[in-house]
Amino acid sequence: MQEHELWLTALFNRFLAGPANSILGLFRVKVEDPAHPWANWMTMELLVFLIAIVLFAVLRSQLSVDKPGKLQHIFEVIYEFLRNNAEEVGIHHPTKFVAYFGTLFIFILFCNLIGVIPTFESPTMVPYVPAGLALATFAYYNFQGFREQGVFRYLAHFAGPMPALAPVMVPIELVSHMARPLSLTIRLFANMFAGEQVTMAFLKLTFLVAPAIFMGLHVFVALLQAYVFTLLTMIYVSAAIEHEH
Amino acid sequence: MKDKQNSYLMLSRYIGLATLLPTATFVGYAIGYLLDKGLGTHFLKIVFLVIGIVAGFVQLIRELTRDAAEK
Repeated sequence: MQEHELWLTALFNRFLAGPANSILGLFRVKVEDPAHPWANWMTMELLVFLIAIVLFAVLRSQLSVDKPGKLQHIFEVIYEFLRNNAEEVGIHHPTKFVAYFGTLFIFILFCNLIGVIPTFESPTMVPYVPAGLALATFAYYNFQGFREQGVFRYLAHFAGPMPALAPVMVPIELVSHMARPLSLTIRLFANMFAGEQVTMAFLKLTFLVAPAIFMGLHVFVALLQAYVFTLLTMIYVSAAIEHEH
Repeated sequence: MKDKQNSYLMLSRYIGLATLLPTATFVGYAIGYLLDKGLGTHFLKIVFLVIGIVAGFVQLIRELTRDAAEK
C-alpha cells in the first residue's frame, strides 16, 4: 500500500478502479487492495503521457518552415542536440534512431520535472518506471543490433575478436549486457529519489531559501539524468550496430 | 558549442561508469544464484560472482581505454 495518495491518484481510484482491476486481472496480477489499484507513479506516468501528446499535437499544428515559433525552435534545438550527440558516440546515420532517443529523453525529462509541481511527484523515483524504460532500451539496442548486423554476426560479437577466448568472453559479455538495464534503473531511480528526499527534508526544517536551492539542484539533476539515460542508450545502440567487430 | 557538447558527453560517460562495477557484480551473483537454485548446485553463485566482477572491470577498462584513444 502506498504511503500517501495524490489527489489525481485518488480520483483515478474513485472512478477508474474497476477498469484497472479488469486489466490487471487479464495479466493475472493480484491487487493488494482492489479499491485502490492505481498507484501514484501510474497516474503520474499517464499524466506525463497526456502532456506529451497535447504538447506535440500543438507543436504539429504550428509547424512552419517560413515562420517557426518558439516551441518549434526549442524542439528543433533538442532534436539537433540529440542527433549531434548520437553522431559523436559513433552512430553514422543517426536520423533513424533519433525518434527513440528523443522519445526517451522527453519522457524521462517530463517525468523527472513533474515532481517540481506541488501536489505531483516524479514517477521516476519509483523503481518500476526506470526499470521499464531500461528494459525497453535493452530490447531496442539488441533489436537494432540484430537488424543491422544480422543474427549470426551480432551473436558472434559476444565471443570477442579471438575465437580461443570465446568460452571466457561469452559469459563476461552476457553478464555485462544484463547489468546494463540494472545500472540504468538504479542510476535514474536513486538520483530522483535522493533529490526528492533532500528537498522534502529541507522543507520540513524551513520554508526559507534552502528548499528552493535544493529544488533548483533537483531540476538540474532531472535534466542531467534524462540526458545520461539517453546518452547511455546511444552508446549501447552504437556498440550494437558497429560493424568493425 | 562542439567543445561544450563533448564535455557533456564525457561527463555523462563518467557518470555511467559509477554504477558499472557494482551492478555487474550483483547481476553475476544473481545469475549464479538462480542457476544454483534451478540446477541444485552450490558453486555457480561463486563462479558467476567472479564473472560479474571480471565483466565489470572489462567494461570499465574498455570505456577508459576508448576515452584515452579518443584523446
